[in-house]
Amino acid sequence: MFGGVFGGGSQKPAGQMAPGGMGGGMGQAQMDPNAQLAAAEQEMEMVTDMFARLGDLCNRKCLIQRYSDEELTKAESVCTDRCVAKYFQVNREVSEKLAKLSQTN
Amino acid sequence: MYNNYGASYQEQWLQQMMEQKQLKDFMRMYSNLVSRCFDDCVADFTSNTLNDKELTCVNRCTQKNMKLNERIGQRFAEENAKLMEDQAKMGR
Repeated sequence: MFGGVFGGGSQKPAGQMAPGGMGGGMGQAQMDPNAQLAAAEQEMEMVTDMFARLGDLCNRKCLIQRYSDEELTKAESVCTDRCVAKYFQVNREVSEKLAKLSQTN
Repeated sequence: MYNNYGASYQEQWLQQMMEQKQLKDFMRMYSNLVSRCFDDCVADFTSNTLNDKELTCVNRCTQKNMKLNERIGQRFAEENAKLMEDQAKMGR
């Protein structure tokens, strides 16, 4: 499960960490290896944290029927999908807004 | 410090770090799960052992939360991939 997340989700970052450069991710051809590793660690921290928050938030918001069944009900499944999608959208909106705000300052 | 070592060292280090983080993350998830299922299921303190209803509830709670995490993981990977694509397109 977690292997799936890190395998699927961070395959691209790991690929970008290939020796010799960051590739299309950071837009810098030659980066100090120390900085590369630090950046990779940072990114991993963020991803882990994000996943934990998602788990907590979507549990609170979507698992309303308290354990009537072992399986996820259809409603809960759909709610979870939407929960993750909306979370990512909020993530994008906030980062865009912050970027704009920091520009005008 | 790492400049003297080859790329394989970096990859190894990264691999090790990933494994450590995954382990730490799993431990944290486990603790949270126990906490949550206790909080949601246990309310009767007339006895010091779980009654049948509570046992069933705890079983379902565990199952359900594991399935939820699995599903979130799948959607997360999809969304993350999309995000990476968008970033690449924008030429970041």
